[in-house]
Amino acid sequence: MGKVVGIDLGTTNSLVAYVRDGVPQVIRDASGDGLVPSVVSLGEDGTFFVGREAQRRLLTAPSRSVYSVKRFMGRGIDDVRGEAELLPFRVGGEAGGVVRIGLDDREFTPPEISAFVLRELKQRAEDHFREQGEFDFEVDRAVITVPAYFNDAQRTATRDAGRLAGLEVLRIVNEPTAASLAYGLDRRDRGIIAVYDLGGGTFDISILKVEDGVFQVLATNGDTHLGGDDIDRLLVELVLRESGGSSRPAGDIQAIRKAVIAAKHDLTDVEETEIRLETLDYRRRITRGEFEQLIRPLVERTIQPVRQALADAGLEPAEVDEAVLVGGSTRVPFVRRIVSELFGRTPHSELNPDEVVALGAAVQADILISGRREMLLLDVTPLSLGIETMGGVVSKIILRNSTIPASGREMFTTGVDNQTSVDIHVLQGERELANDCRSLARFKLRGIPPMPAGLPRIEVRFQIDANGILSVAASELRTNIAQTIEVKPSYGLTDQEVERMLIESFEHAQADIEARLLIEARNEGESVITATEKTLRRPDFPEIAAADLQPGEHEKIQSALDALKQVMGGADRDAVRDLTHALNHATQHLAEVMMNRGVREALAGKNVKDV
Amino acid sequence: MTPDPIPAQPVATLECRNCGAGAPVDEHFCPQCSRILALGRHGDYFSFFGLPRRLVIDQAQLERRFRDLSRQFHPDYFYNAAATERLASLERSSYLNDAYRALRNPISRIEHLLAIEGLPPAKSEGPSSSGQVASKVPPGLLEEVFELNEQLDEIRESRESGGDPAALRERLESARKPIDLKREEHERKVEALSAQWDRQAMASPAEKRATLDALRERLLERNYINNLLASIDREAQSLEPKAESRG
Repeated sequence: MGKVVGIDLGTTNSLVAYVRDGVPQVIRDASGDGLVPSVVSLGEDGTFFVGREAQRRLLTAPSRSVYSVKRFMGRGIDDVRGEAELLPFRVGGEAGGVVRIGLDDREFTPPEISAFVLRELKQRAEDHFREQGEFDFEVDRAVITVPAYFNDAQRTATRDAGRLAGLEVLRIVNEPTAASLAYGLDRRDRGIIAVYDLGGGTFDISILKVEDGVFQVLATNGDTHLGGDDIDRLLVELVLRESGGSSRPAGDIQAIRKAVIAAKHDLTDVEETEIRLETLDYRRRITRGEFEQLIRPLVERTIQPVRQALADAGLEPAEVDEAVLVGGSTRVPFVRRIVSELFGRTPHSELNPDEVVALGAAVQADILISGRREMLLLDVTPLSLGIETMGGVVSKIILRNSTIPASGREMFTTGVDNQTSVDIHVLQGERELANDCRSLARFKLRGIPPMPAGLPRIEVRFQIDANGILSVAASELRTNIAQTIEVKPSYGLTDQEVERMLIESFEHAQADIEARLLIEARNEGESVITATEKTLRRPDFPEIAAADLQPGEHEKIQSALDALKQVMGGADRDAVRDLTHALNHATQHLAEVMMNRGVREALAGKNVKDV
Repeated sequence: MTPDPIPAQPVATLECRNCGAGAPVDEHFCPQCSRILALGRHGDYFSFFGLPRRLVIDQAQLERRFRDLSRQFHPDYFYNAAATERLASLERSSYLNDAYRALRNPISRIEHLLAIEGLPPAKSEGPSSSGQVASKVPPGLLEEVFELNEQLDEIRESRESGGDPAALRERLESARKPIDLKREEHERKVEALSAQWDRQAMASPAEKRATLDALRERLLERNYINNLLASIDREAQSLEPKAESRG
C-alpha cells in the first residue's frame, strides 16, 4: 500500500499535505513554495506544463493555457457561455453535454485538465517521500476537497479527475469543514464555529458545532461562482474601459490580469498603489477606498448566504463562538470587515488561509486510514434532493442541510395498464417547480411486471453517501423484483441559476407555493376525473352498476363529475379541491367495488401464469 | 437496553451475515463476532436510539447518544472493512441521521410515534387516498376561522378599493391576535398530551389509543393554524409599500 495525502484542488492554486507523527503539513517545493497554480499549458511540442511554468505561459501562450478550470467542473456548455468570454482558451461542447476545452487542435473535459494538476501534486508528494528516504514512496490514495456548495455533478467530476490522475479518492470533503478540522487540532474546545471561505472562484459558509471531537455541520450555504476571480475580472474590465477598447489580444488581457492581481495584493497592506502596464502605456493610481467601492457589490453577495445558513442552523449571529477565515480572498481587508460586522467579533486567521483546507484534508485522510476515532466529521448535503412529479412540481426527498450519509425513499406506481417502465427525473435545488431546479439525472425504471394501472408499488431509494454523492436503487414491492435503472446525467441549468434559485426561493416562496398548490389541486382533480370516466366508460359498467351500486349512486357520481369539470380550468384552488373531495366521496364505494374486482382479476391472471 | 414500555412486541432477531449468530433486532453489532450488523429488519427510531417510546426527551442526552452512535458506525471507520460491513455502516449511519432528525424535533417526534403506533399521518392538505376529507376545520377553531375569514375578506376588499395601508395593517394585526393565542394554547395542549402519553406506559390500550388520537387531532389543528397564520402573512405582504405602488 502506498501513501495517502490530502489535496486542496483550488480554482487558483492547489496544495498537497500529509500527516506526519500526528501533525499535518503542507508539502513544499525546494524554494519553500506550497502552492501549485491550477494552470495547465500545452507546449508547442505536445508536452504539458503545470503550475508555475504554466502560469508564466499565460502571457506567452495564452490560447494554449487553461486556468480556473474548477469553474467548469460538472457543468454543461449551456451553463458557462456567459463567463467564457474573457477567457483566452476555447470553451465549447455540444448542447446538453459537458464543457470541452480546446487547446491547439485537441479537446479536453474539465476533469482531464484537473487531472494534470492532481498528477503534479502526486508527483510533488512522491518526490518528497523519496527524498525523505521512504522505501514506499508511491502516492495512490487521496482525500480531495470541494466547495461545500458543490452539487452532485461537480463532486462526481472531481472524483473522476482523481481517478484520471491515478488516485483512489478516499473521500470528497467540503473545504470549510476540512478547514475546521485543521483549526480543531490545536483547539479542542467546544462551541459553534462559523467558517467563512472565500476562495479564487467559490464562496462557502458553514456553521459547525464542535463537541467531544465531533465536528457536526449544522448548515451550509454558498455561491459556486463568487471569488477572487470575479474581483480580478472587475479590475480587468476597469482597465479595459480606461485604456479604450475592450477587444484586445488574449496576451494583453493576461498582462492586464497579472498587473491588477499584483495591485489587489498590494492593497491588502497599503492604502494606495499603482496599476502599471508598460506595454500598453497605461498607468493609474488606485486607492483602497476606490477598490472597496468597486468590489462592494461582490462581497455583499456573501451576506445573504451567511444569514441563511445561520437561520437554517437556528442560530443568531451572537451565538457563534468563533468565526474562521479561509481562502486567499479573505486577506482583503474589506472582506474581513464584512465578516466582523456579520458575527460581531474579530474572525480567526491564525492559520494560513491558503493552506488550512489542505491541512484539514490531510487530517481526514489520516482518520480514514488509521481508524483513529478521536475526531469525526459529520457533514451535510448543501441542496435539497427531489424528483419531478405531475405538473412539473418537485417533491423533496432529502432536505438541504441533512446530515450525510442520508437516505430517502419514494413510492411510484403506473398510470396505464400493463405499463412496464417509469421515467424519473431527479433534481437538486430549493424551488418548488422542476424548471427552477438543477436537473441531475433522468432515470428509467424498467422491468415492472405487467399489472393494472396503479397496482405496482415501486419503491425508489436514494442514498447520499459521505462524499455527498447520490446513488439510486429501486424495486417493485408486490413482486420483490429489483428494477434496472438507466441513468442519463443532465446539465440543464447553470449554477448561477441554482444559487439565484436559492435566494429567489425565499423571495418567490409565496408565489411558488400558490402555483404549486393550484397545480397539485388540479392534478388531484384530473386523476380522479380520469379514473372515474374510465370506469364509467367500461363496457361492463352497466352490469357492475346493476350488481353492486345503490339506486341513484350513478347519477350522484355523474353530477359530482360535471361540477368538478366545470371548475378545473379556473384558478380557484379551493373550488377545485372541494369538488375533488366531493367526487372522491361520491365514488368511494364504486372505487372499492372496482378495486376488489381488479385484485381478483390480477390474482386470477397470476394463477394462470404460474400453472 | 432500556425496557420497552409497549408490551406484546414479538422478540425479533437479526442474523449476522458474518458469523450467522442471531442478534436482537435493535443491536448494532453482533454479540458473537462484534461485527457491525446489516440494517435489514429494524425496530423504530426510538428503539434504534435505545430509548423508550416517550415524547419528552432530554435534548442534551439525545445529542450525546447521536454522537456516540455516529462514532460507532460512521463510514469513516469502516474504510478498511469488508464490503458488507462498509454497506452496513453506510445504511446504519443513514438511518441514524434520519432518526436523529426526526427525534430532536418535538413535532416530528410525535409524527413518528403516530406512524409506529399505526395511526394514519396527519396531513391537512388534499384528500387521502381513501377519499376521506381531511381538511375540514378542526371543531375547536370554528369560531376563530369564521371571524378571521370575515376580517380578511374585508381587509382585502378595502385594500383593493384603495384603503389606507397603515390602518389596514393595524387591523390585520388585531385579527392575528386570536390566532396567536390559539397557537399558544395549542403548544400547551401538545406539551400536556406528550407528558400524558409518557405517564401511560402501564395504561390500557384503549387509554393509550385515546391519547394518540388526541395527539393526531392536535397535529391536524397545528397544520390548520399554520395555514391561517400563513394566509395572514400573505395579506400582510400585499399591504407592504412595494405592492401598493404597483396598484
